[in-house]
Amino acid sequence: MRRLWLNDERPIGAVPRWIMMVLFAALGMHAAYRASEPAPAAQAAALSNPPAVETLRVLNLGEPIVTSQLLMLYLQAFDNQPGVSIPFRELDYGRVIAWLGTALAFDPLAQYPLLMASQLYGQVNEPVKQREMCAFVQRAFFNAPNRRWRWLAHCAIMAKHRLHDMPLALRYAEDITRHAGAASNWARQMRIFILEDMGEKQRATVLLGGLLAGEEITDPKERHFLTERLGKLGGGENSTEPSRNRQ
Amino acid sequence: MKRILAIAGYGLLEARRTRLPLLLALGIAIMLALSFFVVEMAITDSARMQIGVYAAGARLMAVFIAAAYVLSSMTREFNDKGLEVMLALDLPRSHYIIGKLGGFLALSVLIAAAVCLPLLVFAPPLAALQWGCTLALELAVVAALTLFCVITFNQFIPAAAFVLAFYLLARSLTAIRLISAHPVSGADTLSHQFMNGVIEGLALVTPALDRWTRTDWLVNTTADWGVLGGIVFEAAVYVMLLAAAAMFDFQRRNF
Repeated sequence: MRRLWLNDERPIGAVPRWIMMVLFAALGMHAAYRASEPAPAAQAAALSNPPAVETLRVLNLGEPIVTSQLLMLYLQAFDNQPGVSIPFRELDYGRVIAWLGTALAFDPLAQYPLLMASQLYGQVNEPVKQREMCAFVQRAFFNAPNRRWRWLAHCAIMAKHRLHDMPLALRYAEDITRHAGAASNWARQMRIFILEDMGEKQRATVLLGGLLAGEEITDPKERHFLTERLGKLGGGENSTEPSRNRQ
Repeated sequence: MKRILAIAGYGLLEARRTRLPLLLALGIAIMLALSFFVVEMAITDSARMQIGVYAAGARLMAVFIAAAYVLSSMTREFNDKGLEVMLALDLPRSHYIIGKLGGFLALSVLIAAAVCLPLLVFAPPLAALQWGCTLALELAVVAALTLFCVITFNQFIPAAAFVLAFYLLARSLTAIRLISAHPVSGADTLSHQFMNGVIEGLALVTPALDRWTRTDWLVNTTADWGVLGGIVFEAAVYVMLLAAAAMFDFQRRNF
């Protein structure tokens, strides 16, 4: 190795034989000892609670955004620990929510925690856990409705199509309409189509009529589509198919 | 033997005169203060948190101090030409290395003992003793490695970089092996097989320091004596290996 650094070295023959023997004996013994040890076995560790926000605030050295990002990466990597893959359903969702909430506390503008809540952890095939994630998204939505409406919209769709809980889907859709003024029109109109699917055509008609009477809808094609829908609602035609297409 | 002991003794004397004890005391005080600060913030489990923070922080601090001391001491010896004066005497080169290493190993034990003292108060004494013993062994390996690197590279920065890289690798090698053994995809590719072979080869020549000086011995259950025996054996063999490697390079060197 020293050849890399110095050229004026003595030949190997200058090294006493006992040093060579000790060197190779120790190398062989260490390699044999390590080889005799059992191969490391992966163990799925339980997800612990996140550190307290106050503790992290002290330790983050004034880098809250990076802290939030690191928390998310840790949580995301947790289900794929070295050598073992943990299904989402085996995670303690109370703790997952605590991690997501902590990350959101450090970077309220981040979309990552809510994306993970609605699109990743919310996709587990367990209704209770899906509901837990949606409830978390709804709580976070109320803190910044105009920034976080799309995640609640996703939860509304999930409640309708996966949980088959129309009142829950309607509640989420109404929250978007009432609180997220900056949300896209399709999201703000979602409650109308949910009402229609629930068979509450009269309420849907009133809402759609009100929407068309206002100045909120400016796109001519959208106005035309909604007017058509209003006509069908008034005519009593079943409209399940179109509403699905919109969502 | 007398001359080896004299060199080792002077190594310890040098440590005392370069205010290493003061630096160590300061480091321990800072770690203690940090652990008390954490206790103030903790809502529950404060004793566990205090022990955990102190043990993990003090371990790193002790490794840093031991490595930095060996590096600076040996570099100074080279620069001041003290080594050449020593070699002009009727002293085999191997004795010089053994003497120096002996001094550094004794220093490692003293540093580990000092770091372990507060834990005897906070943690169960047996667990603290086990932790302290393996810390001494870890510091011994680090000191021997640093000595080897200084002699081999003959310069401060390459030696320090190698020691740092080696220590990080030794602390994370088990996780790297697990990841390598269970890839998410591409397990059959030639590149992966090659990398897995390299990693397994590295594991044969690198001590698994992540299994030494474990904080969970202090806060959960004490270490199994069989595990400790394995660590003692591995540390002894590894220090011997590093000493022989250092002597090998030192013997070939021209002054």
